[in-house]
Amino acid sequence: MNIVRGRPAPASHGFRARGRAACLPRLRDAHLGYVFIAPTLLLLGVVLAYPAYESVRLSLSPRGGGGVTLVQYVGLVQSDLFRQVVWQTAVFVTASVTAHVVLGLAVALVLNRPLWGRTGFRILALLPWVVPDVVAGIIWKWILNPLYGVLNDALARLGLIAHPVEWLTNPSLVLFSVILANVWRGFPFVMIIFLAGLQSIPTELYEAAAIDGAGTLQRFRHVTLPGLRRVFIVALALDTIWETRRFGLVQAMTGGGPGTLSEVLSTQVFKQYFQFFKFEFASAMAIAMTGLLLFVSIPYVRMIVREE
Amino acid sequence: MDLPAIYSRSRLVLALVYVFAGLVGILVFFPFVWMVLTSLKTETEALRIPVVWLPDRPTLAAYVTMWLRKNYATYFFNSAVVSLTTAVISTLLGAMAGYGFSRFALRGRGVLMGLVLISQMLPGVLVVGPYFKILSAVGLYDTRTGLIIAFLTICLPFATWMLKGFIDGVPRELDEAAMVDGCSRWRIFVGIVLPLIRPGMVATMLFAFLLAWGDLLWVSTLTHSEGMVTVTLAIARTVLEFYVNWPELMAGALMGGFPGIVLYLLMQRWLVAGLTAGAIKQ
Repeated sequence: MNIVRGRPAPASHGFRARGRAACLPRLRDAHLGYVFIAPTLLLLGVVLAYPAYESVRLSLSPRGGGGVTLVQYVGLVQSDLFRQVVWQTAVFVTASVTAHVVLGLAVALVLNRPLWGRTGFRILALLPWVVPDVVAGIIWKWILNPLYGVLNDALARLGLIAHPVEWLTNPSLVLFSVILANVWRGFPFVMIIFLAGLQSIPTELYEAAAIDGAGTLQRFRHVTLPGLRRVFIVALALDTIWETRRFGLVQAMTGGGPGTLSEVLSTQVFKQYFQFFKFEFASAMAIAMTGLLLFVSIPYVRMIVREE
Repeated sequence: MDLPAIYSRSRLVLALVYVFAGLVGILVFFPFVWMVLTSLKTETEALRIPVVWLPDRPTLAAYVTMWLRKNYATYFFNSAVVSLTTAVISTLLGAMAGYGFSRFALRGRGVLMGLVLISQMLPGVLVVGPYFKILSAVGLYDTRTGLIIAFLTICLPFATWMLKGFIDGVPRELDEAAMVDGCSRWRIFVGIVLPLIRPGMVATMLFAFLLAWGDLLWVSTLTHSEGMVTVTLAIARTVLEFYVNWPELMAGALMGGFPGIVLYLLMQRWLVAGLTAGAIKQ
């Protein structure tokens, strides 16, 4: 990390003392601009655009032959497994994002009050978001273990369950359990974003509303919610993109199982590619997933473009 | 603090608020506590029924085993080298690109920036397959260099956007004054802009580090030999084995999360400021 300190020349031993001689010869300004962005664009072109193009090409090519065909996409649409995985991904993403937003907003509202220990809470609350996906998955796999897991033990002690619950092997529970872990992992980030948004709303607006006789609920509806609009779009879009791509948590927690019941799009594309070696099919699925992602990110992109 | 108009001052409301915050706190922290407690148990104790909450005789045996017998030192080295390099490169290149986008009237600027933005939204699995082939073709499969290049694809678009936002916040007048003094753009960038966006650089670096350190998808497709495994891959592989030693796995997972946690706690001020700046910027 000392690179941060070492690399940029401190402003104090600045440019003035060295004068013109120390400066690089002036290129035409516009050309220079391209020099600044060139490394990034080249790198992204080689390592992102080209592989993306390869995936498109692969998804359109018949197995082992030349030409262009839509057979993989037809197969995709007809595949029961694909439909099932899309459905599970939709459930996973919708439930996770909804829970993140509801819980994140609720906690942010609470922490927006002057409370004892607020700062410490805020700092520590982000820890689940900081640990790797895989670690979050592993923790919960252990907590939810049917025999030795602490959740079943706690529920049994409270008299809420009579028999151990098979959180990760019961077909109707497994997706819920994965979502539970993902909610734990993801809501603190949304909470932090909301909290920053709440603190950017001017207090005068609340005072003015109070003078006009608005009650708590009315102030929430007419001051808080509109004030959070922008933050809300950002949190919703970013979180939806992130949860749709989520891989490590599901992979570490259930590996997509039992069977394919907790499989999501990223784990399924991964398996089609690297376990079943169905490259063309996997590519088509990845393209479909990308289309979905680009579609959900439209509001976010539009907002940013409008600002530019 | 005086926010009289916003909140009710009733004691009941205040009590409810504290209860809610306390419950959320338990929800957030208990999994960590449980991970620590399990890692301090012997395997027999971890597998006892009914569940033993506090270890009878806490032991660090699981940590010792992971570190000495299970190659964790190598995995840590790999993760550290790859994540730190990725973080530094993506922050420096991202700052350059951010400066280019922020200060120059480039032809096609909107399109280029749109491409950078969209590249943030591509799922890893879209490119990881072809990537595997490309790296194999150029002899970078199963190397740390290959991994670093792969991680740059995730971190660089983010770094560019984040740092462009910070650079936009530096007044252009500073650039112009320096140009009048005869300074080159490059010197302005290094001597004036970079020092002023230091918090943004720390945030970006930390964020890139966390992304790279936490990755599983790329490491599991672009490496295979024992000497190239990273911490997250080691953890994921352990849990897929038929037999799992839970205290050891919890110790490994805790150590795997540790560098991120420590870095975050040291620099959380900048990370949170950096991440939220984009969200609430009006």
